[in-house]
Amino acid sequence: KRTKRAKNGSKVCSLQEEEVTVSQLGLGYISDETVLFRYCSGRCEASRRNYDMTLAILKRNSKLIKEDLKKAKHRPCCRPTAYDKNISFLDNQSRYHTIHEVSARKCGCV
Amino acid sequence: MVSSSSLSGLGTHGWRAPMDCLRASEMCNQNPQCSSRFRIMRQCLVGRDRTTMLANKECQAALEVLQDSPLYDCRCKRGMKKELQCLQSYWSIHMGLNEGEELYETSPYEPMHFSDEFRLASIISAMDSALSKGNLCSDTGKPCNPCLDAAKACNLNDTCKRQRSAYIATCNRATPITHNQEPCNRKRCHKALRQFFERVQTEFSYPLLFCSCRDKACAERRRQTIVPACSFEEKVKPNCLELRRTCRSDPLCRSRLADFHMNCQTTPHSITSCPNDNYHGCLVSYVGLIGSDVTPNYVDANHTNITISPWCSCRGSGNQETECEAFLRDFRENACLRNAIQAFGYGADAGFLPITESQSVVPSERPNLQPAIITKPVISSNDIKPVDSACVFSTCANLKDGGQKCSPSNSFECADESMLDPNMDGSIDSMDSHQSENNRARQSSASPASVSAVTVILSITLVSQVL
Repeated sequence: KRTKRAKNGSKVCSLQEEEVTVSQLGLGYISDETVLFRYCSGRCEASRRNYDMTLAILKRNSKLIKEDLKKAKHRPCCRPTAYDKNISFLDNQSRYHTIHEVSARKCGCV
Repeated sequence: MVSSSSLSGLGTHGWRAPMDCLRASEMCNQNPQCSSRFRIMRQCLVGRDRTTMLANKECQAALEVLQDSPLYDCRCKRGMKKELQCLQSYWSIHMGLNEGEELYETSPYEPMHFSDEFRLASIISAMDSALSKGNLCSDTGKPCNPCLDAAKACNLNDTCKRQRSAYIATCNRATPITHNQEPCNRKRCHKALRQFFERVQTEFSYPLLFCSCRDKACAERRRQTIVPACSFEEKVKPNCLELRRTCRSDPLCRSRLADFHMNCQTTPHSITSCPNDNYHGCLVSYVGLIGSDVTPNYVDANHTNITISPWCSCRGSGNQETECEAFLRDFRENACLRNAIQAFGYGADAGFLPITESQSVVPSERPNLQPAIITKPVISSNDIKPVDSACVFSTCANLKDGGQKCSPSNSFECADESMLDPNMDGSIDSMDSHQSENNRARQSSASPASVSAVTVILSITLVSQVL
């Protein structure tokens, strides 16, 4: 699975997963418990709309445009459209915690 | 199928395949004589102990008639539909048959067999543990913690993760109203625990509870499995006999306790100290008590010597001291229970075999032991290399810089993501206050990091939504 992912850069936006420890999540919790982190990754070219084209062209061509327009993103992005509700774990000081929406459940090009 | 034939014809032949008490009461209700006696019996039992009930002629007569009905022999299945109703039917007769204050009662549950399923499972797991045995506790120099491995296995299974998170969230939550008195809603916590053990495959739930430990950290994690601060401990320790009385007034608790007594009773003449040498039966009925009034747990984080007890003591027993001690001994000094737990956790590890046990028995006595989980952690703890885990985050949700360089192939998407919106605090606040209620003593250094990381991630979410 891993090697296929590495060589195949043109995979469309989809749910991926990785086993990580809670500490590795980087949210400040210290726990050696392993959880499944699901994330969204892949290309979104197929989901480009006229909106994206126009925006890209405007940004490229016009020199005197508003700052806001320059910052606007002209590509759809592979992002979670739904999250896992919550995950609970015991930290290394024997305290339970519950964290919400830390792992993706569905992905989409938005 | 259900016939209204004579009562005696349906009577006491049911030893092999006892009818379930729901069907039995259905059948009884179709027979006018039986149903009227059944009704009388139920009235007799309302708020009366056995002696006063039997003093009543009518009650006595009803009981005699019902002893010939299918209700007399009926049993219930663990986790069956309408289990509670079935148990109520059972006790509506057996409360009158049992001595009111006797130490042990007959279990309303079907006797436990090694089903074919379990035989198969034991063969497979024996193979699994044999394969993984060499790696067990010896990989990568990390301290061996089978309880941590069990948590991992649970987290990687969707059902187990969901159900575990559900009971932890329930048991760990301070109720807003009774906030200052009660640490949690005990009733709801117990219910969530019962659901966890009913709905999650034993392959995942049992290793959390019966993992074997060689150090204190592991044993503490094992003790914490049922969130004892909510489900186990209370401000006062009641007298054990008082606790038993409370339990016996509830059909479910009463049944689970009777079942525990039947399946975990120390049996001097068997090799394993368990009835029919059935470890599995003892563990199942032990787990059945979790989430009841007599919820048992490990009393401390001692890894060399397991002590199990419900939350009660024998102080103030008066002249019932002996009976109370006997009740408590069935938990604290129960050779069958202890052997069963150790056999589950340690498998055939010779160092932990009970003294009374002979080697030859062990392999066949390991139903459901050492499930496949043991093999997994060995592989995957090596799998997460530092580089990999740094790249996990490198989707378009890159945390500012760091991520870019480890995402060569997907630089196309969202490469120009740089803006972070700081206005997205509402949900963070509610979330964080939620946590801090329960973690007063969390490391102070951890908290700011936690909040800022959450801020970053949520902000990114917002950004993408704006786009």
